[in-house]
Amino acid sequence: MWRSILLKEWLKIRWFLAAALIVNLGFSIKIFLDIRSILSAEHAQMVWYQAVHLHTVFHHDMRYVPLLTGLTLAAAQFFPEILGRRMRIALHLPMARDGMMFFCLAFGLGVVGAIFLVDALFIHLTMRAYFPFEVAVSAVMTALPWFLAGVWGYLGAVAVLLETAWPRRVFFFLVFSVLIAMLYSGVGYGWLTPALPWLGALLLPAFLCVFESARRFQRGGA
Amino acid sequence: MKNVIEVHNLCHRYNGRSIYENLNFSVPEGSVCGLLGKNGQGKTTLVNILMGFLKPTSGTCLVLGENSHNLSPAVRHRVGLLHEGHLAYEFMTITQTEKFFRGCYPGWKSEVFFHLMDKMGLPHNHRVGNMSCGQRSQVVLGVIMAQSPDLLILDDYSMGLDAGYRRLFLDVLHDFAAQGNKTIFVTSHIVQDLEQLVDTIIFLDKGEIMQVGLDQFMRTFRKYVFQCERDASLPKDEVIRGFEQRGRQVALYSYEDMEAVDRHLASLGIQAHQLCRAPMSLEDGFIGLMGKY
Repeated sequence: MWRSILLKEWLKIRWFLAAALIVNLGFSIKIFLDIRSILSAEHAQMVWYQAVHLHTVFHHDMRYVPLLTGLTLAAAQFFPEILGRRMRIALHLPMARDGMMFFCLAFGLGVVGAIFLVDALFIHLTMRAYFPFEVAVSAVMTALPWFLAGVWGYLGAVAVLLETAWPRRVFFFLVFSVLIAMLYSGVGYGWLTPALPWLGALLLPAFLCVFESARRFQRGGA
Repeated sequence: MKNVIEVHNLCHRYNGRSIYENLNFSVPEGSVCGLLGKNGQGKTTLVNILMGFLKPTSGTCLVLGENSHNLSPAVRHRVGLLHEGHLAYEFMTITQTEKFFRGCYPGWKSEVFFHLMDKMGLPHNHRVGNMSCGQRSQVVLGVIMAQSPDLLILDDYSMGLDAGYRRLFLDVLHDFAAQGNKTIFVTSHIVQDLEQLVDTIIFLDKGEIMQVGLDQFMRTFRKYVFQCERDASLPKDEVIRGFEQRGRQVALYSYEDMEAVDRHLASLGIQAHQLCRAPMSLEDGFIGLMGKY
């Protein structure tokens, strides 16, 4: 039965996943080319000074791409379900609602996470090609809040889409927007790294809040 | 005979408006029950309550012995549900639809599904989203038939269908009901179709319900026609349950025999010329009992 759910989720997102991969890889390549271009145009000491002392984040252009990816994949996965309240088909299947929701979310988060892993790998390899290991690690740690924003964006979009009552929709939109905005509010390398475990822990209530939205969706009637 | 659906003291309100008050009815196993009501009387709401997509304000609904707002996967497995508008996954092809549902229902009958699909003459890689309303309805019909459920709940299956597709539904549903111990609960706005299918009807009007066997209703509820000199604005009472007037021709609906109707019309000062009983279809009876608007 779970394979059927997997098939359904895959059919919904496959083209969006391909587009997201292309965009993410495109930005990763752009960052590689930008850094190579900077290094060929400027003296290495100047680039080092920019990176270490001025905290210039060379992969800054990528920061909204994970958020866009999370939002896109959430919409691709759940928009077809809320159109005409089509999710009633899945909710009538002979399987537990929460189990089905968990599997759908796990699939979506797994896909989002896999894309971010590819991004992180590219950032690390690109930075490692020109900078010491510590700078490459710091670059990945700097990007982690952006990836977290992508995951928040995914969960927030799902909660807003499944929610049936407009006041709750607006409330979720505001809460998730504030949380995501916080992840983008700093500058420089690794500014949010100490808080990342706490921000990561907040994913659990966000995850559970989607289950509540799904429960209300089922009770929402026609 | 046990009941497949039982509704006790069901009350439901929406935005402060009462939809039902103390609704009671049951659907016995093996019956084909049609729910009839004018638009906006709450037929889809009732189906949504029965399938757990809406929690009633009060009262209980039992489907296959379980509370409808908390149906177990095992009971959902035994219920084939056709949602209003023939909801289907439009991003899937015919093959993908079959593969998806086959994995969800252990007793899935692929041959039943593909038998109905092949009637359409479409390639199996045809996307559901690119189909006409009728073709999509056929996919949904194939899905619920291949599940081989014990109870079928069809919410306005005839919506948007031409005569051919409606007839296909009737043929398939007849065959399904003939298997024995299979129950169908159906709503439709094409009342004459239900006449060929159901054995029990439930009339839903202004939150109240009347359940009656089709044969009994068609035998006891009567249509009379007569000519009238002037505009006959008849009151609805114990004898006159409904009437329609087109020009001088009046159709009157009643549970009473012709003599009682004639006497009643005379007592109202109405000269009914050529009063006689006329053949009545279920649609006539529906209009006679529920009114047009």
